[in-house]
Amino acid sequence: MHHSHIDRFAHGDSPVHWLDARAKFLAIVAYTVVVISYNRYTVTELAPLAVMPLALLWFGGIPTWFALRRVLVLSPFILFVCLLSPWYDRAPQAVALGSWRFEVAGGWLTSVDIAVKFTLGVLALTALMSTTPFALLLEAMRKLGVPKMLLMQLGFVYRYLFVLIDEAMRVRRGRDFRSAALAPAGRRLSAVGGIIGNLFVRTLDRSERIYTAMAARGYTGQYHGLNILRFRWHDIVFLTAAAAYLAVCRWPWLLKS
Amino acid sequence: MFLAMHMANELLSVPVAGLTLGLAALIVLIASWLARRTLNPERLPLMGVMGAFVFAGQMINFTLPGMPGTSGHLVGGVLLAIVLGPWAAILTIVSILVVQCLLFQDGGLLALGCNIINMGVVPCLVGFGLYRVLPGRIETTRPWRQYLATWTACVIATAAGAALVPVEATLSGVLKIPVFQFLAVMVGVHLLIGFVEGLITFAVVAYLRQVRPAALGLAKADTGGGRLSRSAVAASFLVTAALLAGVVAWFASSYPDGLEWSYMEHKYANADSAVAGPSGLIAAATAWQEKWSLMTDYTKRAAPLGELPAKSGTEGEGSGSAVNPWGSLAGILGTVVTLALVYTAARLLRRRTPAHQH
Repeated sequence: MHHSHIDRFAHGDSPVHWLDARAKFLAIVAYTVVVISYNRYTVTELAPLAVMPLALLWFGGIPTWFALRRVLVLSPFILFVCLLSPWYDRAPQAVALGSWRFEVAGGWLTSVDIAVKFTLGVLALTALMSTTPFALLLEAMRKLGVPKMLLMQLGFVYRYLFVLIDEAMRVRRGRDFRSAALAPAGRRLSAVGGIIGNLFVRTLDRSERIYTAMAARGYTGQYHGLNILRFRWHDIVFLTAAAAYLAVCRWPWLLKS
Repeated sequence: MFLAMHMANELLSVPVAGLTLGLAALIVLIASWLARRTLNPERLPLMGVMGAFVFAGQMINFTLPGMPGTSGHLVGGVLLAIVLGPWAAILTIVSILVVQCLLFQDGGLLALGCNIINMGVVPCLVGFGLYRVLPGRIETTRPWRQYLATWTACVIATAAGAALVPVEATLSGVLKIPVFQFLAVMVGVHLLIGFVEGLITFAVVAYLRQVRPAALGLAKADTGGGRLSRSAVAASFLVTAALLAGVVAWFASSYPDGLEWSYMEHKYANADSAVAGPSGLIAAATAWQEKWSLMTDYTKRAAPLGELPAKSGTEGEGSGSAVNPWGSLAGILGTVVTLALVYTAARLLRRRTPAHQH
């Protein structure tokens, strides 16, 4: 499995890709906080919030189907919660859409509200991750104060994810080609246990070898960052614009004053 | 499976998200301090490689017997706790969750605190604790005891983590689904998920016992073989059934089911006459049933055995949430009786094996 499967669009070339990773990260975190800060009956006020992730995706050159597919894949739990809400919350709530006023059971509002917030959250995170290579994101997190130990671990997960998933898929293919599905349940179970146990033992040994190789090259536990992130004028413009946009969405009365 | 249990941002409020993030950060700091006592600080980052292993291990699926099309797979929290110790396991799971959130957008950014607690801290600590406490000394324990300990640790750890999701959602005030209903569904489903995970974790632990006993803290390889005895699996089925019947059933809804509701709400024209004036045979059968049923309506009988209960109005609607010992007894009794009946029928109907088998 090549890293392009995961970081598919991250090495592209667009205005959003040029933005500093710290700026994007902070903007998306702030956006997520604003999205979940609305209460459960808001639906119409969420509409202007859709502009930011969609704009980032559009200017970043990320295809819409890619982002929407993410939303679909991750939605089962949220759908379950959304379908249950109308059942339990029958109290009517007033809804205002422009000049229309109508009443709807609270549960339906909550369902739509959670679904919309979920979609917006996933789109925003997809926008961030599809326009930022993982290494740059780790670097941004380091500059923002995330503990280096965690970052090193994340780096290792990313690096060895593909290697180990490839290994697991090969072993699984080998098992499937040996008609494992026809074996009785007990033997299937011990085969699964054996495969995972084998992978585990190999990973333990591999991490030993990695450590030895790193120690042989002078590793003493220090983390060396890339030091290539620079805040430029367009990052400051982006951050200011994002802050203003979020403030106006959350507190519309600012526009009137 | 991981996908089912991830908490989303949208079910949390900002204060709860902040609180859980702070709590998770604190626990992670403590875990990394404690992990340094068993591992050199330089080796701690290599927990990341173990994190990649968990991702890979989740791809190996196990088709459940008797249920074609469904397959379970390992979540891995308890397995990591068993072989790496709880603190290193927590660190590994943190890195897995962060990668899942960032690379796969699975689980919200602000829900990371909740996810770390639900799927990392609680399963690792609870699972490890049960695994260590239940079988006694690991070196000298019999395989079936280790199986039961591993399996119990997985089931309870998974259910405990899942039980926190409704709590966090309710504290945030985003959902109006009653806590107990939500709890019942989450815990019920995750008891079953934990069952499958217990099976797979035990299979891995049995393999490690033979091939790399040092990973489990055992001195030498176990030549007895970690065979899964049928009675151990049967015992685990019984315990799951007992837990479901005895505990999760407390949260069963006492609203009428579809059929009852349809005729109680007078949806069908002919139902009224049938329900209001039952024929003599039906009335006699109902009276007989009320006189002699051991536990009417899954609870203690209102009148002594052999007498009709006094007429009372229909029970108030709502969902039971109080601890209900009679309900538990009814559930467990029913399970045991059904099991006995099915077993007897199976024995009677079993085909005799031919005398001459090649």
